[in-house]
Amino acid sequence: MNEDSEPLDPGDLPDIDPAGALDDLLLFGNPETRRRFLKQVAGTSAAITLGPALMRMGSAGAAEVPAPPANVASVGTAAVHLKINGKVHALEIDPRVTLLDALRERLNLTGSKKGCDHGQCGACTVLVNGRRINSCLSFAVTHEGDEITTIEGLANGEELHPVQAAFIEHDGFQCGYCTPGQICSAVALLKEGHAKTDSEIREWMSGNLCRCGAYPNIVAAIKEAQGKSGGPKGA
Amino acid sequence: MSVTLMGPARNRVDGRLKVTGAAKYSVEFEVPKCAYGWTVESNIAKGKITTIDTKAAQALPGVLAILTHLNTPKFKTAPKKEGASGIRSEERFPLNDDDVHYAGQYVALVVSETIEQARHAASLVRVSYAPEEPLLTMEAAEHKAEKPKKNNDEHVQIKKGDVEAALKDASLVKIEQTYITPTETHNPIEMSGTIAVWEGDQKLTLYDATQFVKGVQNILANAFGLEIENVRIICPFVGGAFGCKGAVWMHVFLAAMAAKVAGVPVKMHVTRRNMFVGTGHRTPTRQTLSLAATRDGKLQAIQHVSETLTSMVGKFTESCGARSTGLMYESPAIRVEETVYPVNVATPTFMRAPGECPGTYALECAMDELAIALKMDPVALRLANHADNHPTKNVPFSAKHLKEAYQLGADKFGWSKRNRDPGSMRDGDLLVGWGMATATYPAHKMSAAAKVQLRVNGTATVQCATHDLGTGAYTAFTQISSEQLGLPFENVTFELGKSDFPFGPVAGGSNSTGTVGTAIHEVAGLLHKALAELAVKDSKSPLFNLKTDDIAMIAPGRIGLKADSAKADAYVDILKRAGKDSIDVQSERKPPEENKKQAFQSWGAHFCEVKIDPILPRVQVTRVVSVMNCGRVVSAKTARSQIIGGVVMGIGMALTEETYYDPPTGLPVTRNLADYHVPTNADVPEIDVAFVGEPDFAFNPIGARGMGEIGITGITAAIANAVYHATGKRIRDLPITPDKLI
Repeated sequence: MNEDSEPLDPGDLPDIDPAGALDDLLLFGNPETRRRFLKQVAGTSAAITLGPALMRMGSAGAAEVPAPPANVASVGTAAVHLKINGKVHALEIDPRVTLLDALRERLNLTGSKKGCDHGQCGACTVLVNGRRINSCLSFAVTHEGDEITTIEGLANGEELHPVQAAFIEHDGFQCGYCTPGQICSAVALLKEGHAKTDSEIREWMSGNLCRCGAYPNIVAAIKEAQGKSGGPKGA
Repeated sequence: MSVTLMGPARNRVDGRLKVTGAAKYSVEFEVPKCAYGWTVESNIAKGKITTIDTKAAQALPGVLAILTHLNTPKFKTAPKKEGASGIRSEERFPLNDDDVHYAGQYVALVVSETIEQARHAASLVRVSYAPEEPLLTMEAAEHKAEKPKKNNDEHVQIKKGDVEAALKDASLVKIEQTYITPTETHNPIEMSGTIAVWEGDQKLTLYDATQFVKGVQNILANAFGLEIENVRIICPFVGGAFGCKGAVWMHVFLAAMAAKVAGVPVKMHVTRRNMFVGTGHRTPTRQTLSLAATRDGKLQAIQHVSETLTSMVGKFTESCGARSTGLMYESPAIRVEETVYPVNVATPTFMRAPGECPGTYALECAMDELAIALKMDPVALRLANHADNHPTKNVPFSAKHLKEAYQLGADKFGWSKRNRDPGSMRDGDLLVGWGMATATYPAHKMSAAAKVQLRVNGTATVQCATHDLGTGAYTAFTQISSEQLGLPFENVTFELGKSDFPFGPVAGGSNSTGTVGTAIHEVAGLLHKALAELAVKDSKSPLFNLKTDDIAMIAPGRIGLKADSAKADAYVDILKRAGKDSIDVQSERKPPEENKKQAFQSWGAHFCEVKIDPILPRVQVTRVVSVMNCGRVVSAKTARSQIIGGVVMGIGMALTEETYYDPPTGLPVTRNLADYHVPTNADVPEIDVAFVGEPDFAFNPIGARGMGEIGITGITAAIANAVYHATGKRIRDLPITPDKLI
């Protein structure tokens, strides 16, 4: 064991600043915030459905959900009901939270992926009212009442959606990270009727990047699914 | 037991998890009360930090801590231990001093309750600098240039025969050209990320996106002065890596330090912007090739002079010449020179086929230029200089089937219909070009161990701390385990991605299939031996009282007498009679056996077609045939995908990819996926992949030489050669963008 690796209490830092200049900088955060964060406990008796991640975090006040403010201040929270894969989740969230971060960080629905956070890679593609969107470019609070389908909601129980099954059969992925976005995009593409030729599939799937380079297999998978798809569930 | 070249074409065993969104990548693990880290980066390339004003950031709700060099405890530097694992490309620790070595260097870290708060707070941190003049180019860093003798154990300055004499010989046909490749950035779609969780002050768990869990474990244990077994690394899935997740980068140290300082778990998901500075890149290269050949195409000299950049805080070098010209063609005279210039740019690292990829680009373009000068078919020129022996080590190549690869590739592509004259082939208004090139990548061997549990119901679990980056490792190792253990594929589960498991090396250098496969082979032998020991002591066994050395697996699920297979016993019967629910066996990690009498190298041939609009000369790759010779193909479906993936990345390298730095400031300009153009679906044609050759059992008991990297070698040259064939324009600086063809 080594002295230097002792746990550091923010209030008991090594004396790297004997002159005390750092005191002004409050480099270790607002002590009040930190104490509150550490004390927050999982679990709540709130009657509304809360995602496990939100309950866990409690940072948005899950245990004591405040009344939604009449108007959303720049710093504060807003209430929204997200209907995801048929289930309604009531959230009280920072209005800056993207739909993607609401899914991943508040609801533990991590199937939708963050690949750029800029709407450039398509890994975060989900279906909103049947249309494919980049969930990283959309604020969660703007989706009150929308029907949202993520990769977790495509299969019918154990039975995979035809696009999912075709991706496995044709090895339409390698690392699998862009895959949920590719599949959601392909489900919408079939519905849009934009899969008539190989080159049409390539063009209309070009918003979903795959750095592993599975593109030829993705095209093959979509062609096969087109023959079998009975239309996307919940989309 | 005869082993065929091609293993079965199975679907991925992890496919269902991946298509349903159930596969958990590093930052997706659910950790209670996890805070978020967001970095602040330097906007100068060289200098010192003078002040950091965090007041405004501090005042925001949710901010838990702000780390800067003024308050971050010192990391430890452990002495280098023999055999210690782990890779660092950037050899420094973050936030431990006021020096800035490159633009984009992390200079502060905000830890906050939510991403939104952390991001906003980080934007309010104000950093002042005393900037200094950075060195940014080879010319500026001339005085600091080095010619390294070795890259790790590999000699990178090579001299054989009298190159100068051949290059001066007026009777020979000569080519001398310089080829430029820009900085390229890996950009896996999963950005690097880590969740750091402390349990007390001596136990650390990291959910880290890495190609090397054992390496991260060792390096983090050293950096925090912890016992190695008190550091756990968990990484069951990696969302692409291509080399950028092989080393331990600054964000990993930061996440662990922030979690320690703030007293809560901290999640850091590197932004796409920072994937261009914080997790490595392929260094730019300038390569000058000089070739001299007789009129009938016999090479008399090849000289390959390469110049690359490295950073001020690392020594990574991209050995282009040694890994291409040093071994590809027979020639009485070969010279390879390598010069490295340190600059104030973020640290480069391995990127798919480091050295081989840019090296084969330059050499295979030069070979095309030589073929044209000789009025020779490019395939015929390569056949004329085919090397049966390693040209600079002078030992025979094992199981080399490159000639078959050329032949099959040419047949599949229809190469014989090629009109050799540039600009001679058309599809309507479009110019058509056909090009080809040789692919090559060495067979690397490392060390690993594995553990197996066989259960009385006939199922088994095999474990190794290896990785699946999308390579198909889960599937390939399940396949190898099934074959080596002698159990049905469905009965075997292969587990990886945890530092708790027996040692697995970095998933790099295309070594994993062979290395981990060898460990599985060894542990299977140990399992058979353990079963034999039970059987010979069991009076009810047909093997009772026999010698264990005379017993081996003789059929799936059965061990028996090697000399008389009628004397046999089933695994499950042995366990049942012994009253055991299961049996556990683990192999030991040993240094790999080196066979110095042969050279082990994979080979291949790419043929491709491009079509180019003569008015707006955008290059479209319309057809690719790639024939590979990589030893045994363990898992046919995922192997094909690996080659396709390499080809696709090569299309990007040839046509679109460039990380551009602002010349005066050294700031990367292309720092997102709209400015840095990786290939899209519309850029990629059908790719026809085939394999030739035989299992290379001289290399390892699996017969596999690996195939993660070979696909990207040579393909960029094949495309550049096709562009020349279509247009008559030789573009020697990548990428081949339309402006260069107008």
